[in-house]
Amino acid sequence: MLLAQLSLNALALGSSYALIALGFVLVLNATGAVNFAQGDAVMAGGFIAIAAASFFPEAFNTYGIVMLPIVLVGTGLLGLALSAVAYLPLRRHPPVTVFVSTIAVGIILTNSFNALFGAAPRATPPLLGGGQTVLGNLSLSQQSLAVIATAAALIAGLGFLLHATQLGRRLRATAQDPEIARALGINVTRMICLSFILGTALAGTAGLLLANQFFLTPNDGGVLMLKAYIAVAIGGWGSLRGAAAGAMFIAFFEVFVATWLSHPVAEAGLYLALFAVLLLRPQGLYGEAVQRRA
Amino acid sequence: MQNWRTNAHRLILPGAALALAGYGIFFASPYDTRILTIAGVYALLVLGYQFIFGHAGALSLAQGTFFGLGAFVTGILATRFGLEFHATFPLSILIPAALAALVATAVLRLESHYLALATLALSQSVLLLAINWESVTGGANGLPGIPGVSILGWNLPRGTPLLVFVWIWVAIGAVLAHRIVAGAYGLAFRTVRLAPMAAAAAIGIDASALRLAAFVLSAAYAGAAGALYAHTLTVISPEVLGFGIMIVCLTMTVIGGRWSIPGAICAALLLTHLPEWFRGLQEYYLAANGVVLLLAVIFAPAGFLVFLQRRPDSAPRPPGVSNAAIPQMLPPKTELTVAALSKSFGGLRALDGANLTLAPGTITGLIGPNGSGKTTLVNLLTGLEQPDGGNARLGTIQLTGQPSFRIARAGIARTFQTPDLPAGVTVRDTVAAAIEPAHIGLWQDMLATNPTASLRQRRTRADTILQDFGLAGLDDQLCDALPHGRRRMLEVARAAAGNPAFLILDEPTAGFTQAETTSFGEKLQQLAASGCGILLIDHDPDFVAGISSTLVCLDGGTVIASGAPADVLQQPAVRRAYFGAFHESAA
Repeated sequence: MLLAQLSLNALALGSSYALIALGFVLVLNATGAVNFAQGDAVMAGGFIAIAAASFFPEAFNTYGIVMLPIVLVGTGLLGLALSAVAYLPLRRHPPVTVFVSTIAVGIILTNSFNALFGAAPRATPPLLGGGQTVLGNLSLSQQSLAVIATAAALIAGLGFLLHATQLGRRLRATAQDPEIARALGINVTRMICLSFILGTALAGTAGLLLANQFFLTPNDGGVLMLKAYIAVAIGGWGSLRGAAAGAMFIAFFEVFVATWLSHPVAEAGLYLALFAVLLLRPQGLYGEAVQRRA
Repeated sequence: MQNWRTNAHRLILPGAALALAGYGIFFASPYDTRILTIAGVYALLVLGYQFIFGHAGALSLAQGTFFGLGAFVTGILATRFGLEFHATFPLSILIPAALAALVATAVLRLESHYLALATLALSQSVLLLAINWESVTGGANGLPGIPGVSILGWNLPRGTPLLVFVWIWVAIGAVLAHRIVAGAYGLAFRTVRLAPMAAAAAIGIDASALRLAAFVLSAAYAGAAGALYAHTLTVISPEVLGFGIMIVCLTMTVIGGRWSIPGAICAALLLTHLPEWFRGLQEYYLAANGVVLLLAVIFAPAGFLVFLQRRPDSAPRPPGVSNAAIPQMLPPKTELTVAALSKSFGGLRALDGANLTLAPGTITGLIGPNGSGKTTLVNLLTGLEQPDGGNARLGTIQLTGQPSFRIARAGIARTFQTPDLPAGVTVRDTVAAAIEPAHIGLWQDMLATNPTASLRQRRTRADTILQDFGLAGLDDQLCDALPHGRRRMLEVARAAAGNPAFLILDEPTAGFTQAETTSFGEKLQQLAASGCGILLIDHDPDFVAGISSTLVCLDGGTVIASGAPADVLQQPAVRRAYFGAFHESAA
């Protein structure tokens, strides 16, 4: 029984991590640069939901799902702003420069939210309600199920966008080779901005999903970003499938080791696992999807 | 080193330093004294970070961790064991340096984003340890009651004396950093950073040794800064290991400039005072720090204090002792032997058991259609790719399996189809970096009476070499400002500067005019006459046949003909492979 419940928790946590990691890879593939503000986008999404909840009448503000469109739009705009200030002015510079500029945006976000909301942990409302669904002798958390369903819907939507629409083909072409894409008449700048919007909005949604069970503070961006980063490194730099798989791996590792031993041990173990992967298989468990830029 | 852009700048910096020192010592309030002391601590931290982030060009995110580690070593040893400064300070430097050396093998071979990730995970691990190992570190509460600096029973008073003490260490750190990077060692860093392939394969610089030294140095500086920080604050908590300090350090380094020593110090002074000036913004002042960093990255990627930076290459012309005879170390008279060398890329057999022998002091031409494996052969010979089978030997020295820089040091230099030159470095320094790379080292420069003197000697010798290659008068130009033909000639001059036994030239005349090609050929013949064996790859069969004593034709990854140029060009297989069937039937 415990095993089933833990697995459900891990699956819910993993689907939130997957959203963060997928967003990270979208930006990575479009720009070749690491977006260090990805964790802060998660945090921003959570706090936008918390802020929005206070504007709704009582009848609605216990349902997190109502905040979803607001979070998507809010963090989408944040992504657009991020690309405008931290990427576009620096696109001719080496990738490390973008690394530093997104760190700067991360600092701005962390400290602005700290000033606005204070450093105390806050929680978002559950998506549909906080009850349990009883299935035989299994008692399943409705929030976990709703998180999995929401993340699955978003990932499916992303898959549809990328593989079944003209816009998705343009996005993928840009990710594969911006020069050729430009030569084919694709507006590369617009595609890059769109990648930032999508990537940040996915992260923001993860904030809404995560911050119900795991309380959120404005300073949590760094750790969340590190997890997305590890998921992408484990899954193979630049691979969407690998990122999702890496996110699931991290979540299962965390949930089970934390239950079995303790939370600090789980976290330390995760870093050790990362070192092992970097040392033994620098191309990631699934192989490298993008050419490394020397 | 007095090469500020104008003479006025010579006075600004010492004047400002003097004024600030006078203010700090005689007029500052206790609060200001404390801030100025902390500024000194950060200056030391940033000076260290410049080694890895600036000179080695690697974004390490562990600098804050080495800092915190130094602080904890001092804190633990002083509070729990009652050790004094003369014991705690060296250990605070050594332990972070040892940790850096320990993780370096795993971390430093990674490329930019992986390196950042691995160092970030390292710092999270250390932070986790500090929070959870309460019996030693005091856990989240930290370690209170760290005593001031005491040496052999003598206690240094707090306040102004501590301020002066910290800044003495900053001065020592700055002088040491200057010695390390002002000479040939600093030039080697620039070469590796700006032309990594050529640094290894054309010159023979050991890039991983440089990165290791930079990483350990940066950790040592951070440890020293952390120790002084612990004495200044008297209480430390795991916060000193957190990402906050790393961010402050990164911001200071970006703002002050990644390579400028005065820049590092100014940025440390500026940013420690920023919170005071932004106090009107109340709780938003930390966000304002982020804005400053962002503006710095966008508008002044070389640092806001860029005017303080010596233009890296506006060095004075070396004294006119030109034509100082280059010590003629004649290369050893050995053969370069290639036996059954093979390489596949996926299903494509790029090189399929190639055999080849190059005689010393002669020019061997290598021709073959596109995709016949010429460049693959060169990459295998110079260690940029590893073969699937076969081997290459220089005399009795086994080359296969050796890293690029060792092959280059053994006496095989090369040029590239697209010249790999360090942009922003002068023509003179490009060549100067290639003279006796094995003699460039950290200790040589740190312990030299004058580290810039040996660099000046190298520059003088570089001038002679440049003259020899018809590049005289271009010495002060930047590499990237040269026209195409000159760039190629510079690459050859650089490769020849190390007195190689063999020189491998990959399509050197592409894009040359007829006149340029002719004079280039003459230069090659001179080089060969002086004892240097040359492997010349080119698409112009007349040119190659004209100056080579042996001609080799490669097709489909194997040698299909070799011998006297005229004979090889007559062979039907060569004509078919190289000129196509049309020429065969027409002939």
